[in-house]
Amino acid sequence: MIGYASLLSVPLQQLVPRGTRVTVFQNIFWVFLVLGTLVGIVVIGYMFWNAYRYRDGNGKDYDDGDLPQLGEIPKDGGKGRKLFLSFGLSAIIVISLIVWTYGTLLFVEGQDTGQPSSDVGVENKDPVVVDTTGYRFNWSFEYENGKETNGRLVVPEGRVVQLRVTSDDVFHNLGIPKYRVKTDAIPGETTRSWFVAEDPGRYRIICYELCGQGHSGMIAYIHVVPQEEYEQFINNESSLSEISASDDESGRLAAAR
Amino acid sequence: MSDNDQPRTATDGGTADAEASAEVTEELPAPGVGETEDHEEHALPSLGSVKRWFVTTNHKDVGILYIVTSLFFLVFGGTLALLMRIQLWQPRAAAGGPLDALAYNQAVSAHGLIMVFWFISPFAFGLANYLVPLQIGAKDLSFPRLNAVSYWLYLFSGLLFGISFFQGGTFAGGWTMYAPLNVPKYMPTAIGSTMAVLALALFVASVTVSSVNFLTTMYRMRAEGLKMRKLPVFSSSILLTVWMMLFAFAALLAALLILTSDHVLGTQYFLSPEGGSLLWTHLFWFFGHPEVYIVFFPALGVMAEVFQTFTGRRLVGRKWFIASMVLVALQSFIVWMHHMFLTAINLEVKTLFMATTIGISLPFDLMVFSLIYTMIKGRIRFTTPFLFSFGALVLFIIGGITGVFLGAVVLDYEMRGTYWVVAHFHYVMVGGATALFGGLYYWYPKMTGKMYDQLLGKVHFVMYFVGFNLLYFPMFVVWETPRRVFNYNPAFTPWHQAATIGGFLLGASFLVMFYNLFVSLRTGEDVGDNPWAYATSAEWAVSSPPPLENFPGIPSYRGGTLSFLDDVVPASEVETDGGQEAIEADGGEVVEPDGVYATHDHGHDSHASIWPFGISLGMFLTFLGIAGLRPPDSTDLVAPGAADPVLVGVGGVGLVVLGVSLFAMAREPFYTSEAPIAERWPYAHVEKVKLGVWMFLGSDVILFGAFIGSYVFMRFNAGWVEGWHVFIENPIPGLMNTYLLLTSSFSVVLAMVAARKRNTPGVIASLLTTFMLGVGFLINKYIEWSHLFHEGHTPSAGIEESTFFLTTGLHALHVISGLVILLYLAWRAWGGAYLGEDEPIEYFGLYWHFVDIVWLFLFPLFYIL
Ligand code: HEM
Ligand SMILES: [Cu+2]
Ligand SMILES: [Cu+2]
Repeated sequence: MIGYASLLSVPLQQLVPRGTRVTVFQNIFWVFLVLGTLVGIVVIGYMFWNAYRYRDGNGKDYDDGDLPQLGEIPKDGGKGRKLFLSFGLSAIIVISLIVWTYGTLLFVEGQDTGQPSSDVGVENKDPVVVDTTGYRFNWSFEYENGKETNGRLVVPEGRVVQLRVTSDDVFHNLGIPKYRVKTDAIPGETTRSWFVAEDPGRYRIICYELCGQGHSGMIAYIHVVPQEEYEQFINNESSLSEISASDDESGRLAAAR
Repeated sequence: MSDNDQPRTATDGGTADAEASAEVTEELPAPGVGETEDHEEHALPSLGSVKRWFVTTNHKDVGILYIVTSLFFLVFGGTLALLMRIQLWQPRAAAGGPLDALAYNQAVSAHGLIMVFWFISPFAFGLANYLVPLQIGAKDLSFPRLNAVSYWLYLFSGLLFGISFFQGGTFAGGWTMYAPLNVPKYMPTAIGSTMAVLALALFVASVTVSSVNFLTTMYRMRAEGLKMRKLPVFSSSILLTVWMMLFAFAALLAALLILTSDHVLGTQYFLSPEGGSLLWTHLFWFFGHPEVYIVFFPALGVMAEVFQTFTGRRLVGRKWFIASMVLVALQSFIVWMHHMFLTAINLEVKTLFMATTIGISLPFDLMVFSLIYTMIKGRIRFTTPFLFSFGALVLFIIGGITGVFLGAVVLDYEMRGTYWVVAHFHYVMVGGATALFGGLYYWYPKMTGKMYDQLLGKVHFVMYFVGFNLLYFPMFVVWETPRRVFNYNPAFTPWHQAATIGGFLLGASFLVMFYNLFVSLRTGEDVGDNPWAYATSAEWAVSSPPPLENFPGIPSYRGGTLSFLDDVVPASEVETDGGQEAIEADGGEVVEPDGVYATHDHGHDSHASIWPFGISLGMFLTFLGIAGLRPPDSTDLVAPGAADPVLVGVGGVGLVVLGVSLFAMAREPFYTSEAPIAERWPYAHVEKVKLGVWMFLGSDVILFGAFIGSYVFMRFNAGWVEGWHVFIENPIPGLMNTYLLLTSSFSVVLAMVAARKRNTPGVIASLLTTFMLGVGFLINKYIEWSHLFHEGHTPSAGIEESTFFLTTGLHALHVISGLVILLYLAWRAWGGAYLGEDEPIEYFGLYWHFVDIVWLFLFPLFYIL
């Protein structure tokens, strides 16, 4: 990953958002949202303004002696210099935005296996690897020491969690909105993803690909706990019920499981 | 047909004098008043009779049938959407709400499928059917009966889909139909879901026929002087749409045939852990992304037409606008993997597809600006069609901007499967539909000769636009709601309630439209040829509605503007005009008609046939039957449930109906003529049937390509050599078959030679030889297959068997169809046909050689490698 990073010049490096997936997503999303809204307002505003300005009966007549005639062979209306100018501008905005996010994509793609980069910002560089399998209609998790849980994923706080995701039956998609992580669970394939477990507590794991009747309710939970608790748990020294999951996600649907 | 015996020689480049638009109309030849008299002679019942609508092959009638039917499906799909919106009024656990979990999944899936396949495209094609021939100056489509076949197949495919609801429930796996949820093992609604898949396949048949028809028409029947790049924008957009349809839908057909076979023959493609899921995503999105543009292009075309008319300006940068569409149409086939960023594809591929995706978004920027700049210095009249087109552009801009978010892979990672996507594609697709409604308001006076109430039109627009944004904008706000889920975060409830209210407002707005358009049929004010000032395209130069054969003479743009040549101008006189050189120098080509006659001595084109209806009914019943089949060795693991004998019986009846209708249609005298003078570049020397056959084979290439690609993909995923059990030990039957087919290609050529030599026995003998060789091929295959079956190699035995039997089986089906045609040809030859004119045999030969060539690929792939 150092290889990729050094490709980008130094000032660019600072421009490219890095950090946890949450940070990265927030940064990029906001830039897109602000710019998108701006462009939208300008373009749509300009449309309305033109529509108003050139409304029929506005007292002006721009008749240049070349009105469209019934039965004419279709022709170009006007030169289109302005057209290329604005096209060029919009192309620059779009391309630079995407290229900018590409730097982050390289960063994000680099963290799902091996040692995470220091840019992720965690102290303990050892990743926690969890093998995850979707099945109708829940998730099972296998930890590095072979312990398995169903419907509950327990991870230590402040570490990079690397997921290996597959499916036992149909196409699912595992997502943890809290940590902005999402990846497909495909039978016969294994996909990889990663996130940093911050803020101890209990959050939802949701299936994002229609997988049958139980899809709407295919919700599991992730428990983020302190390191010692995590170790006790995977070494079978404590059970799920003993895990301090008091800090429940606010406002989540109580009806679900 | 009075004063237009001579082509009007207008000053070049459009008249320079500024006439008020109203006068322009008078400048043009008034359509012959007596034109409508001779309709009844064509055995076409009058507009008021029910029978007419079953037998008509006229493009305008078919267009209206399409439009009415598609609006019916709009209501159907819309009702399902409203049901979903009620379910989403508040977050619900599985049992709560009006729909149970399975019903909700069915509603989501059926809504998506109906809106995308049975509403929006056919709605656009209703307009296209009506208008493209008018705009390009053709009397009808190249193959009017096939056009009727397209319509009836469309209607029956929709019916089949409707029936699937009553066969234990329809398909419930989403409109993207991801594998392996789409196979019976995971579908609690087995027969119903098979039927829904077959309904789609039938729909694809309709689309393919109609693509071939439109392409042939647009390349062979343009008015003189109307070069390909001079088509009115709506027609250009349709041309590009049908090109995309021809290839994209072939890929979908492959996916659907494989899926059907997994359902009814027990093949193992999509259940296979060796990449079955990914195979589906590739096949589906290879179709699915072009489909996005297939849906949107006609809307762009409408917007451009309506903007031009109601701003009174020509499209700014028209040639760049069209160039952009061409670019998008080409690129649309290389972006499909952006739907798969979260699958296991690697970084390089992601990068590539990210790049192509931005690439494809840029031409749209240009088109949007081009539309906006067209308003400048205009005389904008805020009529109903303009409001809808203007609104559509606003919605499309929002849809486009929110799409850029998804193009950034890092954001797509989080937005996949959420309401961001739902909101985005509704802004784009329903935005497109908005323009199409504008198109309906724009051309309604042309189609009916009546004007609707403008005030009600505007009321519709306001309700529509407010409802739309109230429905979809909140989805951006609560974008974190997972898609296809009714159990969402309670904090989002108010926004979803706003959306539901918006949905009902949107739905109600259509009541206004239906009322307005329906009442205006009777009470609307009569309009003349052209109610809209500054409209330029040819449809406005004829009466409303246009006469049966559209024009009062042969349309021509030779003088730079539209004029109608009188039918009986002798060829020589037409050709001496100096205008032709200019046209040829420009890359166009004006060609003499197939015969020598430039006079149009018949004037009795046929416009009625019942057989398109018969053929489609036969196909419909046959497909019902296929849906009832289950694999012979079906276990509950593969496909629960048994075959349904009633359905299968119905299918048998269907085959008979189909056979009889096909035969009857082939025998029926049906006369169509091509205009003696027309623009036909670049296919001037390819006769229309031949061109049609070529186009069809083009789509067939993609079909086989997708099958072969699927085999290679599965085998590659399994491990080409070590992971793949090659069960065919004996290549000899395959080799023999190769020789049989090659020889049979040769004997077709002999038949052509004999026909040219007017040697009837020779023709018959060669055709029968071909037939026998084909039969030999099938017998050989039968023996080979029964051996394999005996050894336990059935289609459901494994992915190796599945790919072998299905791919070669598809080829065998092509051989069988060929044999049926051969029998018919031989029978006709016996009756003395084809002497001196070998074209029909030649066209059959094209097909037959193609089938042979396919075998030359299959043989080494399956028997040797
Ligand atoms: C031209 C009209 C429309 C088109 C082309 C269209 C298309 C689609 C498609 C393709 C889907 C995805 C289905 C799936 O995920 O399998 C969908 C979903 C949906 N549509 Fe529409 N739609 C249209 C109009 C409407 C209207 C008018 C409403 C509301 C009244 C609506 C509400 C919904 C809802 C609630 C969903 C489900 C979203 C989800 O849970 O993923 N749609 N639509
Ligand atoms: Cu699911
Ligand atoms: Cu796409």
